[in-house]
Amino acid sequence: MIELTIDNMTVQAHEGETVLQAALKHGIEIPHFCYHPCLSIAGNCRVCLVKVDGRPKLMPSCNLEATPGMRIETVSEEVLAARAAVMQFIILNHPGDCGICDKAGECRVQDYHVRYGEIDPVSIEPKHRKPKLYDLSPRISLDNERCILCSRCVRFTREVSGSHMLGIVERGCHSRVARLEGKVFDDPYSDNIISICPTGALLSRDFLYKSRVWYLEPVRSVCTGCARCCSVNVWRRRKRWHVRSLGAEKNAAAYRITPGENPEINGHWICNKGFDLHKAMGRPRALAPLIAGRSASVEEALQEGMKMLSEAVNPAALISAHASNEELEAFRIALGSRMRVYTREDHSPQPGEVLEDDLLIRADKNPNSRGVRELFGDRPYDATAGHDLVLVWGDLDDYAPLGKARILHLTSFVPPQGQSADLLIPISTVFERSGTFTNFEGKANRFDQVFDKPKLVQHAGELFGGLAA
Amino acid sequence: MSCLKEKFDRLTTNGPEGMSALVDKFSELRGGYPEEMASSLVLPLLQLTQEAKGHLTESDAVFIADYLGVPAMQVVEALSWYTMLYREPVGRHVIKVCRNISCSLTGGGRLMGYLERRLGVRQGGTTADGRFTLLAVECLASCGTAPAMQVNDTYHERLTEARIDQILKELP
Ligand code: SF4
Ligand code: SF4
Ligand code: FES
Ligand code: FES
Repeated sequence: MIELTIDNMTVQAHEGETVLQAALKHGIEIPHFCYHPCLSIAGNCRVCLVKVDGRPKLMPSCNLEATPGMRIETVSEEVLAARAAVMQFIILNHPGDCGICDKAGECRVQDYHVRYGEIDPVSIEPKHRKPKLYDLSPRISLDNERCILCSRCVRFTREVSGSHMLGIVERGCHSRVARLEGKVFDDPYSDNIISICPTGALLSRDFLYKSRVWYLEPVRSVCTGCARCCSVNVWRRRKRWHVRSLGAEKNAAAYRITPGENPEINGHWICNKGFDLHKAMGRPRALAPLIAGRSASVEEALQEGMKMLSEAVNPAALISAHASNEELEAFRIALGSRMRVYTREDHSPQPGEVLEDDLLIRADKNPNSRGVRELFGDRPYDATAGHDLVLVWGDLDDYAPLGKARILHLTSFVPPQGQSADLLIPISTVFERSGTFTNFEGKANRFDQVFDKPKLVQHAGELFGGLAA
Repeated sequence: MSCLKEKFDRLTTNGPEGMSALVDKFSELRGGYPEEMASSLVLPLLQLTQEAKGHLTESDAVFIADYLGVPAMQVVEALSWYTMLYREPVGRHVIKVCRNISCSLTGGGRLMGYLERRLGVRQGGTTADGRFTLLAVECLASCGTAPAMQVNDTYHERLTEARIDQILKELP
């Protein structure tokens, strides 16, 4: 441990830690654009300048190793003046179009300008024009005028995702972030650059102009896209900004997904499938109970379910790898000993999807296979076992492989086309309930409830007691 | 705004015709470099290619990147950095007029205007007959003898309008 003084406060730093890291750890804010804890140090933005006692010039704190006895000033007049000058330079060619920029409200350039600068640049030259709304990829729009050339996005593709697909071309104030013209920027982790861009240069085309960010709030959830179980933030509209004229759908929509920082599981990143989680949850829903394809009330459905279970001679259950640990436990207690339990992967890899890589993506495209396995093993369905009833839990494309058994299907989404289960009870999605999944490494990750469940939809965990009665 | 995008998408993507003929030359050069220093060959190979083809496109950069096993974006960055690498077809003679401080102080701007009028092109342009391309460049390191310009590989210093007339007349 090294001891140094920052603004008259004694702080500790590890060997090799920088002054910026030590300051941030102790709640001392030093502004920074290009520094990111998971990327190499570029030291190009200069907004992190601090005064080091005994050195004539201000130093960039992101690139300054803490040494014992060092005395740092981050708020002296000299530092503040330099910071304001750096900000003035950074916005020299910045279009200042916050009014039409999705990043406004969570933009470092905006925040620092207000906090540390608010001096307009003095230049007799008109501002440089660069491409706006440039299609960096089918998922990302790039506004080169807003880019401050911090190179975070470029370093991300070189150091994290490894696609090397971005670069900075041209020189000086003509520099701009670019991809190859002849190639699609299809990095499976591309959307992380939207999250780490300190300004409104990189924007999600899916989220583009959908909402101002201050109307939204994040809720901690877990991606169900694969067995990594990355933490994500699901952005919903704040209660006090629910307004009737928007309509029910927009008031209760998941506007966007961003990575949820989780050092145990996914660090700062998620893959693009995670960024699309709200789309996966937006698939056509099963919203009302169906008895042999005809809609029924919840009471009728529960009655029918109880009857089916009590009549069954040789019942089986096909457990969902999208069920939470709490739901699995509820099932085990209520019905586990009354039926033969089989497990399965609800979702298998789709054509074109990355199967597995060294960063996050896992070949098992379900969140809780490990949790299921720990409770129920991994026996696949045995069609020759002569079951007369199968309780199917989760998504299933085709009932045919289940043979002649009657089917009681608990599902969040519409069931196979042209087939109807003997009984279908709609259940809540990951956005509508809370719980935990156990990822492939055995680490539990908790998700909170983002939205109320639709009226006729049930929480699976609360059904089993009733069905068993 | 679409015009802006096109302006910035200058790197056209023609097929890498003629590149395979260059590979022999590439290999010859490569022999002189340690294996782990492949990226040091980026500039020499871009230059070789430009000598052979006149100007460079993104697909040339991609070809070189694949040949060297370095990321293509790295080669494109280098290609876009250097004014001596041309990303558009240039004329038979390339005139580069210095626009940096010493030359500006000694009339470089005026001389650029003179050349524009004489050749009938704006800076950055190529004459209709394909004879001249007129470019503005940064310091040519001839500050002591400013104003300066470079025509193809030859330096011309202490320029005046009369001197420029003479230089142009002597060009084939
Ligand atoms: S696009 Fe954003 S992240 Fe990339 S260099 Fe520009 S400001 Fe930095
Ligand atoms: S790696 Fe898996 S869990 Fe993480 S975001 Fe991607 S699909 Fe979701
Ligand atoms: S954060 Fe230190 S130079 Fe950018
Ligand atoms: S300024 Fe023109 S040669 Fe240096």
